[in-house]
Amino acid sequence: MSDTCFQLKGSVVTTFILELYTFSLSDFTLQLEDKINQAPMFFKQSPVVISLDKITENITEINLDELLTACRRFDLQPMAFKCSHKRFLDAIKATGLTLLSENALRNLTNTPVAAEASHNIKNTDVKENTQLHKSKLISRPVRSGQQIYAEGGDLIILSQVSEGAEVLADGNIHIYGTLRGRALAGVKGNTNARVFCTKMEAELISVAGHFMLSDSLREKVWKQPAQVYLDEQILHVETV
Amino acid sequence: MSIFDYFHNKKTNTASLAKERLQVIVAHERGKRSQPNYLPKMQQEIIEVIKKYIPIDNDQVTVTLDNSDNCSILELNVTLPDNT
Amino acid sequence: MAEIIVVTSGKGGVGKTTTSAAIGSGLALRGHKTVIIDFDVGLRNLDLIMGCERRVVYDFVNVLNDEANLNQALIKDKRNNLLFILPASQTRDKDALTQEGVQKILNELAESFDYIICDSPAGIEKGAQMALYFADQAIVVTNPEVSSVRDSDRILGILQSKSLRAETGAEPVKEHLLLTRYNPSRVADGEMLSVADVEDILAIPLLGVIPESESVLKASNLGEPVIFDETADAGQAYSDAVSRLLCEEVEFRFLEAEKKGLFKRLMGAR
Repeated sequence: MSDTCFQLKGSVVTTFILELYTFSLSDFTLQLEDKINQAPMFFKQSPVVISLDKITENITEINLDELLTACRRFDLQPMAFKCSHKRFLDAIKATGLTLLSENALRNLTNTPVAAEASHNIKNTDVKENTQLHKSKLISRPVRSGQQIYAEGGDLIILSQVSEGAEVLADGNIHIYGTLRGRALAGVKGNTNARVFCTKMEAELISVAGHFMLSDSLREKVWKQPAQVYLDEQILHVETV
Repeated sequence: MSIFDYFHNKKTNTASLAKERLQVIVAHERGKRSQPNYLPKMQQEIIEVIKKYIPIDNDQVTVTLDNSDNCSILELNVTLPDNT
Repeated sequence: MAEIIVVTSGKGGVGKTTTSAAIGSGLALRGHKTVIIDFDVGLRNLDLIMGCERRVVYDFVNVLNDEANLNQALIKDKRNNLLFILPASQTRDKDALTQEGVQKILNELAESFDYIICDSPAGIEKGAQMALYFADQAIVVTNPEVSSVRDSDRILGILQSKSLRAETGAEPVKEHLLLTRYNPSRVADGEMLSVADVEDILAIPLLGVIPESESVLKASNLGEPVIFDETADAGQAYSDAVSRLLCEEVEFRFLEAEKKGLFKRLMGAR
């Protein structure tokens, strides 16, 4: 019996979607060049899915080969098309690239683009999709060396957080147990985020980048239920 | 030390026992570091052959290779049980 | 099907090998066929603690590399014919360990043994990870001392995320705390972490408390696991731990400092 050559695994890929409204080669090339130049390293070799869903009604034909060549000229890597309009399906098939199904695209776009890039590409044809108000629930102790990050929402921990462990959230952090490690809330800049715990023994607490170490925490609230919040750029620690 | 230690039998000196064991095993391991790889297997096979005729334990046979300046000596030691 | 129990700690020198030897022997004494595997490739010491260092012909790595079969490598203990040892290699290093190879050996052992004890090396690198990967249960050996407690916490995190059970979403590895080198008088003086302190920080069920004891050093000098010394406090504590491992309820002993009167001091007690 010969050795196994490969394995198929499920995977999630982070990618841009380029939503096309209309296409004229000269305009497209100019606008694309402009966008790329705003953050050239970021777009270098980026995989991109081209969506034709938002094409204006009266356009019946697009030269997809020209489109793809233009993209590749700026080092974007078109890897698939997304299109629900029947009139373009033959042209897409001729390019040899995949036509993604509704479900496939949902998986791809739900991965948010990195925060750094979001500053650069706010008003472009590229769309990001971040999920808000979602909570992450952890019911086992968070051990030393572990790191938990609740992206786009709150973090709720139903046990202790050991010394040497790190818990982070874009939103609030609620710990129904002893906090001995580090808790960082509002990591993407949410100054309204708070940290709550039933027993404060933390190494470090941070809200939107403003932090306090255990020495200062000891002076305020120690070994008791506590909440930490930011007011006028100053961290407040109070019993709950 | 208390007054009773004078009358108490000296307990078995486990440290000297430990030292004995260590001397044997460290010498054995230092020697092994310069031995070729086939010796353990060869030793086992020789044991199997002898076992066919005489009942012996694995540790009653030792095989060592001595590499001095111009010749190598393969030494085989077999300790036979008392009534053969 | 055998139960695979890893004895691990993160921190070095806390008593993993002493514990593996004692608990493995204890299980065999209760009539369960048990094998203890030394996972410390390159720095073997289980054979010394078990007293079979002169009977090592083939080792774990020889079996992994198909240079020998299991029966040739396994050493039967002279005190109990249900107890076996699979020694580590003294000359190879950890690169010899592969997941497929280790799994194959464990599967073969599981066919005829009731318990497989994996004596882990210190640290969190390959040897330690390999030792805990296939475990059904874990005994986390901890000294009542800050770095040991933190390292134990770290290894608990790894058990929860990097074990086969964790990766396949099976029932998680059953965790047990074994507190070793416990000195009740120092705890009473407030100089040593108490059982409650450690339990509070690690939050896993307590399997046993082994008192600091001279009998442990004597046991390794002799090459006889301390559980065979029925008069030793440490030996008895290990025996209690084995009972608890077998789901019997046993009260915790050796937690209180002995009150030594003048007479006892004359008798030479320390």
